[in-house]
Amino acid sequence: MGWIFFSVALGYAVARVVFGYREPESPLTRLTRGEAAFLAAAADATFPSGGALRSSGREARIPAYVDRLLIASHARSRRQMRLLFFLLEHATLFFPAPGLSGFRRFSSLTDEQRVAVLDGWASSRFWQRRLVFGSLRAILTLGYFAHPPVLRALGLAPFALRSPICEADLLYPRIGAHPSSILLTRADLTPPSDGTPISLGAPIDPRYAEDDS
Amino acid sequence: MTDAAGDLRVYAEYDRDFSEEVDAVIVGSGPCGAVVAKELTDAGKRVVLLEEGPPFTPSEYELDGALSMARTMREGGLRATRGTVMPTMQAIALGGGSLVNSAICNRAPDFVLDRWCTDFELEHTTLSDLDPHYDAVGEFLGIAPTPENVQGERNLSFKRGCDALGYSSEPCLRNVRGCRGSGECFTGCRMRAKQSMDISYIPAALRGGARVLTSVRVEEVRADGHRVLGVSGRVVAPFTGRPSHRFRVNARAVVLAAGCMATPVILQKSGNLANRSGQVGENLQFHPGVAIMGVFPDPVHPEFGATQGYQSRHFLRDGFKLETLWAPPAVLAVRMPGSGDAFKRRLAQIPCAAIWDAIASCPRSLGRVRARRRGLDPNLTWHLHRDDVLILAQALWTLAEIFFAAGARSIIPGVHGIPDELHSRSEAEILRTHSLKASDILTGGNHAFCTTRMHGDPSRGVVDENGKCHDYENLWIADTGIFPRCPSVNPMWTGMALAHRLAQTLAERL
Repeated sequence: MGWIFFSVALGYAVARVVFGYREPESPLTRLTRGEAAFLAAAADATFPSGGALRSSGREARIPAYVDRLLIASHARSRRQMRLLFFLLEHATLFFPAPGLSGFRRFSSLTDEQRVAVLDGWASSRFWQRRLVFGSLRAILTLGYFAHPPVLRALGLAPFALRSPICEADLLYPRIGAHPSSILLTRADLTPPSDGTPISLGAPIDPRYAEDDS
Repeated sequence: MTDAAGDLRVYAEYDRDFSEEVDAVIVGSGPCGAVVAKELTDAGKRVVLLEEGPPFTPSEYELDGALSMARTMREGGLRATRGTVMPTMQAIALGGGSLVNSAICNRAPDFVLDRWCTDFELEHTTLSDLDPHYDAVGEFLGIAPTPENVQGERNLSFKRGCDALGYSSEPCLRNVRGCRGSGECFTGCRMRAKQSMDISYIPAALRGGARVLTSVRVEEVRADGHRVLGVSGRVVAPFTGRPSHRFRVNARAVVLAAGCMATPVILQKSGNLANRSGQVGENLQFHPGVAIMGVFPDPVHPEFGATQGYQSRHFLRDGFKLETLWAPPAVLAVRMPGSGDAFKRRLAQIPCAAIWDAIASCPRSLGRVRARRRGLDPNLTWHLHRDDVLILAQALWTLAEIFFAAGARSIIPGVHGIPDELHSRSEAEILRTHSLKASDILTGGNHAFCTTRMHGDPSRGVVDENGKCHDYENLWIADTGIFPRCPSVNPMWTGMALAHRLAQTLAERL
């Protein structure tokens, strides 16, 4: 009898953890459906639509950014980030959000419940919980600011700058390339920066100037 | 293509195991290792400089803060201490930390160096002893005060606040030529104004005939009796660290300049080498940093201006130094409190905001570096001492009063247990009246020291004051690990001055 109950409970737990997530809005390389759903939910709770900065977390494509970040990260960092997402997504199965339907995964909660859960982590008297929240919010914030319209709205997009060509450019190929790929010669060297201050109205870097709203 | 007499090798060129025979092998191409390479080369020695990371050029700099860290920092920039949890970083790139630091150069104060001499039985490490070496490095790199015309409002407002309160302040000395105020020091200077090692000392070493091998990871220092024979390791792929070919460098002298967190790991992995004193990996110290954001009534255009253009050394004897600060906005926003609409409202204030930080001398807060079972990344343990929390609290209060003296309408201290935003000097009093714990304060520590400290007594230190290991005739260490105690100011210039002295001493012996 005991093992039947155990099997049913285990099956229920696995189902709650693994299944029931919708297809992500854009194709992702590293993130699972569950992770993408969690990040989208957390992103919108942290950056709701409208207000001082128009873009919401989801509109800022934070899950896609985290997907890129995971690709660029080292294996150990990747594991830590995924563990973080898993912990926060499922913590409410054990420590429920406020309200009758609080015993659900984070991504299945209502907007108000999600905000309440995150506030609980942020203001906890246990520094470990605050650390967990801080880590999540750091990742979400990095993703939010990687969205060019956000930086443009704040007037903080990087300037368009043309790098001088110096001796080092004749020595170092692009990462992964062979030195024979360096086509520059001494004749290509340009004068070093003359220290003229950048003017505040200078054009912004093309990567941030695109219409990407 | 160039007039370099030396040779630089990159990952794509390695197609087999290899070995080298030289006078000196230097492990690590950061500020200290690069100085040693250039000076030994100038002295006519055959030198190989080894670097685990790749060379970066501006087209490969990431403007996005997180992606930049993932590419240029060990452990993707997510390294942290245990004990008191504090993020800390170490670069993995040709040029080391100089590629992604803000180029601040300070001579260590005379009272700090005097105490090093007194407390650690050193005879020739006073400021007057080191001044010729500071001068040599300073002249080569063009170290000079940050010009007024690239300070920008967020730096100049700091000066105004200090002036109003009677605190001394000055433009930061930096190894920069032709700064235009793009504020991009931390992601790599696209204007090539910052004289990071990859565009200054390393090309000079190459011109002098040095060989520079990138994408090579040193895994062992080989020793026999009281002499070391050289180093060995593996070629590793950029970013993934995947190992491939093996290499070996036989040398008459080995100089470890892999940084305060990696050099002890190399020694530990080499059979606990040079550790008769038991001090390898011990005494880990940081300059833990705290920061406050101040919001001004009008835009300060923080996107323009030198990354860290102004500083105050007024409180050095009290245990802290104050600086202005800028970083990719995403990185700065990470430490702002709140979530939802309130958080977005705060983010919208960034165009009117300046960020200033304090770095603290915390010689009572100690830790250690231990090798992990696999790989060369360290386990770091560190504890912020109760008394040093008081120094950080005092530093936070001082930053707050400077902000209000400069005209800020509010500050965001980012301290747990204190209101998210404070609107006046009297409200900010809570920073010095509230009893803070270490875990209440968000700290970061990117200056690390003392894990292979110098000491006149071989039973209490790893190296002598020239950087030579007490236990080996021809093993030298040239990074901030040899500092006997934290220097109270940004350590790069002091590390380079000590490396310059080491190189001169070593050149005479080779």
